[in-house]
Amino acid sequence: MEKDKTLFKVFAGGPLRISGQFQIKGPDGKIIETEEPVFLCRCGDSSNKPFCDGSHKRNGFSE
Amino acid sequence: MDDPRNRQYTNGDITVFWIPSKCIHATTCFRELIEVFNPGRRPWVNMEGAPSRKIIEVVNKCPTQALIWKHNQDLTEEERKTQWRVSSEEETPRSLSGAEEPTSIRIMRDGPIVAEGKFTIIGSGDQELRPTTMTSFCRCGASRNMPYCDGTHRKIDFTDQSAENGER
Repeated sequence: MEKDKTLFKVFAGGPLRISGQFQIKGPDGKIIETEEPVFLCRCGDSSNKPFCDGSHKRNGFSE
Repeated sequence: MDDPRNRQYTNGDITVFWIPSKCIHATTCFRELIEVFNPGRRPWVNMEGAPSRKIIEVVNKCPTQALIWKHNQDLTEEERKTQWRVSSEEETPRSLSGAEEPTSIRIMRDGPIVAEGKFTIIGSGDQELRPTTMTSFCRCGASRNMPYCDGTHRKIDFTDQSAENGER
């Protein structure tokens, strides 16, 4: 069971990684089929939202 | 209004009343405004989380009037006297619904990532962050309370548009 536990990892200046068991729904309420782990954009600039596309490296996102 | 489970919360401008016996767990309040209505926190209503205008908008969407609001100048004498009760044991829309579900992650349109369930959060410094069963992560890049949402996405007009090809 322990390996299935949902884990959120915040990367400094980067995305949010989600691993374990979870279900993601988009703004329209529909389930988004994803690989696991998934990397979600935190910088606001991804062209592939809600997923990370590496834009944080170009826009100087830090946190 | 004399159910001991009832609560009222104010920001000095308006007062929000929470009447658990009327709640049907529609989840509108925390889906729309988790900065204010967060069932994973005690007290679960944080009146400082958004402007009165926004709080009123979301309270008005509650389908059952489990949440209602009044301008403070319209409070009755009795409501005015009501003291904050000990809130550590208050019920929330989520505790009322009972059933435990797998971790749910919702991407809010032009807003945060809302996580609900049993999970662990590891911060950017590799430290484990405060345990909770519900939280929201910033997606606009501008929160002053990283990694959490603080409502800044509204101020900067954060939009998901690029992900949806303008179809909104």
